[in-house]
Amino acid sequence: MPAVDVQEIRRIFTPRKREPVVALDGVSLAIPAGEVHGLLGPNGAGKTTLVKILSTVLLPSGGRAFVGGHDVVTETEAVRPLIGIVFGGERGLYTRLSARQNLEYWGALYRLSGAQIKQRSAELLERVGLTERADQRVEEFSRGMKQRLHLARGLMGDARVLFLDEPTTGMDPLAAREFRALINQLKGEGRTILLTTHDMVEAETVCDRVTLIDRGRILATETPRSLGSLISRFQRIDVEDAPREVLEAIRAIDGVSSVTTLEDGTVRIEVHEEGATTLVLKELVDVGVTAVKTSLPSLEEVYVQVIGDRGLTV
Amino acid sequence: MSALVSNARVSWYAIVSGANDYWAIFTLKSWVFGWCVRMLSQVSFFALIGKLLESDKQTQFFLVGNAVMIAAMGATFAMNMTTSERGNGTLSLLLASPSRPVLVFASRGVYVMADGVFSALLGLFILGPAFGLHFPFPRILLVIPLTALVGMSAYCFSTFLAGVIIRKREVTGLLVNATIVILMTLCGINVPVSFYPGWLAWISRCLPITNGLEAIRDVIAGAPASTIAAHVGAELLVMSGWLALALVTFGAFVRAGQRDGSLEYAA
Amino acid sequence: MRAFLAGAQIQLRFLRAYPDAAIPFFTAPMFSVIFQMVFRHAGREDLTPYAAIAPVFIALWWLALFNSGWTITMERWNGTIEMLVAAPSSFAAVVFGRITTTTLLGVVSFFETWLVARAIFGTKITIYHPWAFYATVFVTLFAMAGTAVAMASLFVLARNAVTFSNSASYPFYVLGGILVPVSFLPHWIRPVSAVVFLSWSADLMRAALQAAPMHEFWFRLAMVAMLGAAGLLVGLYAMRVILTRVRGTGELGTT
Repeated sequence: MPAVDVQEIRRIFTPRKREPVVALDGVSLAIPAGEVHGLLGPNGAGKTTLVKILSTVLLPSGGRAFVGGHDVVTETEAVRPLIGIVFGGERGLYTRLSARQNLEYWGALYRLSGAQIKQRSAELLERVGLTERADQRVEEFSRGMKQRLHLARGLMGDARVLFLDEPTTGMDPLAAREFRALINQLKGEGRTILLTTHDMVEAETVCDRVTLIDRGRILATETPRSLGSLISRFQRIDVEDAPREVLEAIRAIDGVSSVTTLEDGTVRIEVHEEGATTLVLKELVDVGVTAVKTSLPSLEEVYVQVIGDRGLTV
Repeated sequence: MSALVSNARVSWYAIVSGANDYWAIFTLKSWVFGWCVRMLSQVSFFALIGKLLESDKQTQFFLVGNAVMIAAMGATFAMNMTTSERGNGTLSLLLASPSRPVLVFASRGVYVMADGVFSALLGLFILGPAFGLHFPFPRILLVIPLTALVGMSAYCFSTFLAGVIIRKREVTGLLVNATIVILMTLCGINVPVSFYPGWLAWISRCLPITNGLEAIRDVIAGAPASTIAAHVGAELLVMSGWLALALVTFGAFVRAGQRDGSLEYAA
Repeated sequence: MRAFLAGAQIQLRFLRAYPDAAIPFFTAPMFSVIFQMVFRHAGREDLTPYAAIAPVFIALWWLALFNSGWTITMERWNGTIEMLVAAPSSFAAVVFGRITTTTLLGVVSFFETWLVARAIFGTKITIYHPWAFYATVFVTLFAMAGTAVAMASLFVLARNAVTFSNSASYPFYVLGGILVPVSFLPHWIRPVSAVVFLSWSADLMRAALQAAPMHEFWFRLAMVAMLGAAGLLVGLYAMRVILTRVRGTGELGTT
């Protein structure tokens, strides 16, 4: 039984005086226990909506979803003790209270005993590296520290399933890296994690599988590596010391999108058709150029290609 | 001369911006049904004590005193401008500009103060008849400028206090409420100044409202012009005192806040 | 139960963290001074019971309007309302815990009011009918909390909650006859006062502090209890509406 099972979930919002918005349009997904699953997509894709539905905070308009085998709509009492939510951002913490006081409060709401509360909050503060600041007001914390506190808060109930919504947005790279290390630790403890993000590096380094989502629809679910091979026709060939005539000839090949010289003198040939790679390589080999490297696009490039024509509009 | 003009311009814009902020909070409906109802209830609450004591004289005493207090309340609410300034993060921008902060602060709250004065007069002229009181006409019209004087006097006091708390925004609500209730206690609003022990009466006369209110009561009672003038003079003196104190200290408080970082960008 | 206590604990912590919460504890003694002065100056020491209880009602009502009433709204603005919904504990229980704590703290104003009266004016307040008095206090606190729950829920749903909150102080002091009994109000207003639990409460408390025998005690006490219960029920119903909105339309989430 998957830890998280989403079946044709739909969610429509009807804001006042405006057209209804379809936030999720028949989304299906199954996350086995112990997997770190990334939900990757631009703003407005429906990631947060899905997370809210799974954490029983929002009702779906259609479809069903199960966490730990329990229906998120009809069995909320069974689902809520199982899950931990890390919504992140500037809000969601009691800023005038200390980190410890915040944790103790949620511990009580997650039905821990007095002793458990004290112990677990101390442990978690240690784990996220906030022990020294435990009794300082949250309003004095940096963004990264708040984020870590959010994670600690989400773990107070010792959740088996964690929902992290854009947890590293706004963090500096070092803090983000430490955060990801934490996530790996959690994974090692057998917890299931659903992580929404639009950080490609994060998705690639932390997730076992990644689901691409846009405009309420799932585009693909793959491991980060194979997601790249989805659009393997977008291959890239880096060449050194290629004569100019050859490059001109290559430029003229059908299926070659660009031939650009990089700063270090390497020439990058980008291809957008199946089979074009072979033609390019043939040209190069024929003139004896052997310093050649082919690579698949990174997840970022996939993302940009698949979703990219949106530009800055959301 | 040009400094005067540019200062006046700063003031004017500040007044207008304060007014706009005010009307962003209130609609006419909420002003009438919210603020007005509350204000009339407040004056009535105290005026009713006169009914309890079965004395028209007392009823008038309470009614006049608490109506004038409304003007002072309006003036005191202006302190909230400091909080919203810091809250919106506009304080730092303000401080970075060439204008003197005290000038802008003092001007932004003017509208609130004027509203208080207007409300006070509204209360007086609506509730007076409602409670069966007869005000001597046309003498009663003198109350209008006198109420404005009380409002301005309270406003100078409030401006000084705003400077005192500019570094500690969280305390604003507490200070506003504390100031209002202390003024209600000590300024001869509900009991005559003669009721206070000597030392307290002296403090009372150094506070805004006290002398001006006595002038207003004098006018209604038909006291001689010299008595009224004496009280008016005293109020003017008190007002100038607090104004001077505000002008002198405001800048110092602001500088202290810049030194210790307590005027951060956004609260 | 744990949720209730968690709510109570965090409310106490909030009170320490937010200076504004101290306002009623400052104004109550000051109002005590004002009212004592007034009656002393008028030579009416017999009215000291009136002066003794009015500041308490002012403090309790302030706490309901400005503290309890904003409980849920503050969660919303803070971004924590959804987390509260997602937690296993009962949302309503947490809110009750917080409101009850606030209301009980209001009792401190009793002590402040009477202490000030004693210390400054040498006024001694005698409780002539102790059982009646304590019963009235108890039921009044219940009614205050019930009304506060109604405020907490309705403030989230109503669009002009801020206006109401800011202006519902003195109008209710007048309607509730907390200083000057309702019998001094024009007769056309009295029916409105009858549905404000404050009026029944204040009358009972004043009567308990005076030597004369009390009339219709149980009936009047029942009125306080009933009106308080009505407030509570309204509040509970409104809370259900809120939770439906959070989960159903997603409307209350962010702003």
